Amino acid sequence: MTINKLDFLYRAQLDQETLEIWIEEEWLVPSEAAGEPEFSEADLARAKLIRDLKHDLGVNDEGVGIILNLLDQMHSLRKAMADMLPSKRGRSDLS
Amino acid sequence: MKDPYEILGVARTASSEDIQKAYRRLAKKLHPDLNPGNKEAEERFKEVSLANDILSDAEKRKKFDSGEIDAFGAERPRQSYYKDYAAQAGAGHPYENPSGFADFADADDIFAELFRRQAQQSRRRRGADLHYRLTIEFLDATKGASKRLTLPDGGTLDVTIPPGIQDGQILRLRGKGGPSGGEGEAGDALVEISITPHRFFTRVGDDIHLELPVTLAEAFLGSHVKVPTPTGPVMLKVPKGSNTGSILRLKGKGVPRQGGHGDELVKLKVMLPTEPHPELETFLSNWTAGKSYDPRRDMQP
Repeated sequence: MTINKLDFLYRAQLDQETLEIWIEEEWLVPSEAAGEPEFSEADLARAKLIRDLKHDLGVNDEGVGIILNLLDQMHSLRKAMADMLPSKRGRSDLS
Repeated sequence: MKDPYEILGVARTASSEDIQKAYRRLAKKLHPDLNPGNKEAEERFKEVSLANDILSDAEKRKKFDSGEIDAFGAERPRQSYYKDYAAQAGAGHPYENPSGFADFADADDIFAELFRRQAQQSRRRRGADLHYRLTIEFLDATKGASKRLTLPDGGTLDVTIPPGIQDGQILRLRGKGGPSGGEGEAGDALVEISITPHRFFTRVGDDIHLELPVTLAEAFLGSHVKVPTPTGPVMLKVPKGSNTGSILRLKGKGVPRQGGHGDELVKLKVMLPTEPHPELETFLSNWTAGKSYDPRRDMQP
């Protein structure tokens, strides 16, 4: 299921300009179809996370980039770990 | 549900700044995306955000204080977080980043292998794979060839056909697909090969089958005949007494494969003369021995 830009702005409670900056910063990397960005549920959850970081946790823009980078590394590591541990394999294969 | 003041650890008289500060302190510790493996933190964060939801809104806080709403009067906390998606994402997920462990993959043991695989799976901002179809001649498929594909955007793509390619096989041209949006590598071009049938060769596995018409004399008396193969004609010895359906094998004249070639299997097909042939007619009418041969004897009911 993909989400178009208008729906995404509405569901993430974002304005267009902010979204463009987030994409520019590569905080969000939507896929593209016919020249229009297409968003996934994961992109939406990530947008909500960015909002939490900025608004609830008081993280500034520099901090958001660093946190996302480290989080992405952590999730990749978690997945690598999960692939190695047979008991966790079922979880990581969920998709 | 516990008392929201208790959950945030603030006094009933706390100012809205105090409440925000208390919430931030707890959220930094408990936010599920900052604790992806910690279920307890997630449960506690739900409580904390419910409490904050009531106390950070002056209207709701007043209603709670006066007993008009209880702690359940808050909005339902959201049920999923980014971590839930990050955990289930498959290969090619745009946010994957192996920088945290890429160096482990350089080692030479079983764990390194697993890390390597993981690192390969993550293709940060990789371009799209583009699909093409290419139709080639039978002989180009068996011998290999170099083809140029014209793309819809006017560009061209040089495709090297390896000898022995199969119909429907897909060639992956690394980095010849869509460009990456960011710093990642370009996607691949995937070229599906379809092979047009040949007039007289057919391919079965790595062997080439050919039905070869021969004359009655060539089959019955034995002969040397010229036979086409994918790499040019060769002379084939037809043994004396060959018949329709006899199969002769030309070793190594088939399709290239790992460590050699398949064979070409030549199936003979005896062709009687198409023109009237009085000499043969006379012979056959007088040939009494031939009349005792019954090729249909196995078909008697």
